[in-house]
Amino acid sequence: MIQETLFLKNTETFAESLARCGVKYHFAYPITPATDVMKRMAVILPRYGGQMMQMESELAVSSALAGAACTGKLVATSSSGPGLTLMHEAIGFMCAAYLPCIVVDSMRVGPGDGDILGAQSDYFVVTRGGAHGDYRTVVLAPSSGQEIADLVPHGIRLAYRYRIPVVFVIDGVSAQTTESTTLPAYNDYSAEFDTSGWAFTGTKDHAKRALITGSYSHQDGYEMNERLRAKYEVIRDKEQMWEQDGVEDAELVVAAFGIHGRMCRDLVSRMRADGKKVGFIRPITLWPFPDRAFEALGSCVQNILVVEMNLGQMVDDVRLAVNGRIPVHFLGKTGGDLPMYTLADMIAEADRLLGE
Amino acid sequence: MENLSAKYGKTLNLDKLTSYCPGCGHGVVTRLVAEAIEELGIMERTIAIVGIGCGGFSHHYMDIDAIEATHGRAPSFALGYKLAMPENIVFTYAGDGDTCAIGLGDLLHAANKGMPITTIMVNNTVFGMTGGQMSPTTLVGQVTATTAKGRDTALQGYPLLVPEMMRSMEGVKFLARESVATPKAIRKAKRSIRKAFECQVRGLGYSFVEVVVPCPTGLKMRVRDSYARCANEMTDYFKPQVFRDETEQVDVA
Repeated sequence: MIQETLFLKNTETFAESLARCGVKYHFAYPITPATDVMKRMAVILPRYGGQMMQMESELAVSSALAGAACTGKLVATSSSGPGLTLMHEAIGFMCAAYLPCIVVDSMRVGPGDGDILGAQSDYFVVTRGGAHGDYRTVVLAPSSGQEIADLVPHGIRLAYRYRIPVVFVIDGVSAQTTESTTLPAYNDYSAEFDTSGWAFTGTKDHAKRALITGSYSHQDGYEMNERLRAKYEVIRDKEQMWEQDGVEDAELVVAAFGIHGRMCRDLVSRMRADGKKVGFIRPITLWPFPDRAFEALGSCVQNILVVEMNLGQMVDDVRLAVNGRIPVHFLGKTGGDLPMYTLADMIAEADRLLGE
Repeated sequence: MENLSAKYGKTLNLDKLTSYCPGCGHGVVTRLVAEAIEELGIMERTIAIVGIGCGGFSHHYMDIDAIEATHGRAPSFALGYKLAMPENIVFTYAGDGDTCAIGLGDLLHAANKGMPITTIMVNNTVFGMTGGQMSPTTLVGQVTATTAKGRDTALQGYPLLVPEMMRSMEGVKFLARESVATPKAIRKAKRSIRKAFECQVRGLGYSFVEVVVPCPTGLKMRVRDSYARCANEMTDYFKPQVFRDETEQVDVA
């Protein structure tokens, strides 16, 4: 497949990007607003010698995903809030098992059965972990079709470098947005990594391997967790990503991810045009959270405004990152006919905090 | 020390002490599975996906790659594995609790998909590892840690007949229930387990064998009494039989 620019719904951009970057097997169960990923995968994966397999539940989806990941081949799944909830049994397992995979979560309104409208309400479940035990997954939050295409190769490399599930989260509004995206030419990024040292492919070329995530002694359990701790510390140190602009002399910094993060570019350029000292930070990795972006803020910053399509989730991480040094304010809602803020709403709140 | 693998083949690791309780039926079934793999010459490309519970120990006694799955999900793990690596032979091995309590949904959908994977369900009518609680296959009236007055059908229903649930599924190409109650029964079980693997090797479709075994510890019985129970009450209800055998048809692998 050659590089080409297509006008696509962003769920379809996920499917195209994943297939063009080497995903061979995709497992899924229908759920709005994520279904278009599996629909397109069902059509395109056979062209790459792969297959989309529809399962009977997200519990089975994530289990089949884990089984396929044991072969070392690049595998993916896509879902939305309630489906992601069911998948956590295997996501926690894959973290303990050092299995790479890609998970796409197209976020909708929760909790319970919730609403199919877009939201950012899965921040907690992906960054804190919805399964038992001390584990982390890398979480990437693209804010546009082009950023999906650009981040997928990086996500695959992180999944294999650290042998860890990598979760892409996108608010359902961005997931349903149709826009022009330049898709990459075919390249299997997982092929950069040698899996022959760990994959469970049969004993023809190695002595017996057993994938064991349970501890047979208390010391085993301790050591398993210490290995994970060390890995997570490396990731926290090396893999923080964010976009920022105008923060050097800002009195107010607006922090948002996904679609509100994308809107921050317009917010800052408009308010700067009016002479107002406003900057923004858009986290791209939600875990590891880009603490450094906030730690580096100067004494000129008098307030931080966090905008989210939920009732306040990422705002906790911003507060931890500034550790009381700067007042942190929150603007957020979830659900309703327009489940997000307009640029005018965001500018009005920013003006209020600037005392105008 | 005598080289046991020269005598019994490479698959079964006889140098390892098992953690099965004395008299447990798992030891017999594990050996039969290892012998089937050995005889078919598929050891180097066979992967065990084991459940949670005593069945999870089984792979330790076989020198093949193994995956300890989450509780009840081994059939789904196996489907994903087989899709990604169809040239390998993948089987699941777990008890009745893992296979037909928490894992019944995964099991029946895997069977219905009909992909060539193999399931060995070891049925001892009780949750053994956690100390003898009721399982879906606990017999009517059977006393367990959670049915102190015996299994009450008004509250708990009747023991689940698992292979019977798969009889109408076209994708299931070998379907049997066996037991280890007697030497004769063990020889029959060996034939069925080998056929189940053969079914996969030849790419025919899904294969399933339930093996009825005693659990002296979980049932709090003497070993001899638990085998007598296996030969009588257990197999009176869970009748050993080959429900379907399509291994005679033309290879499609």
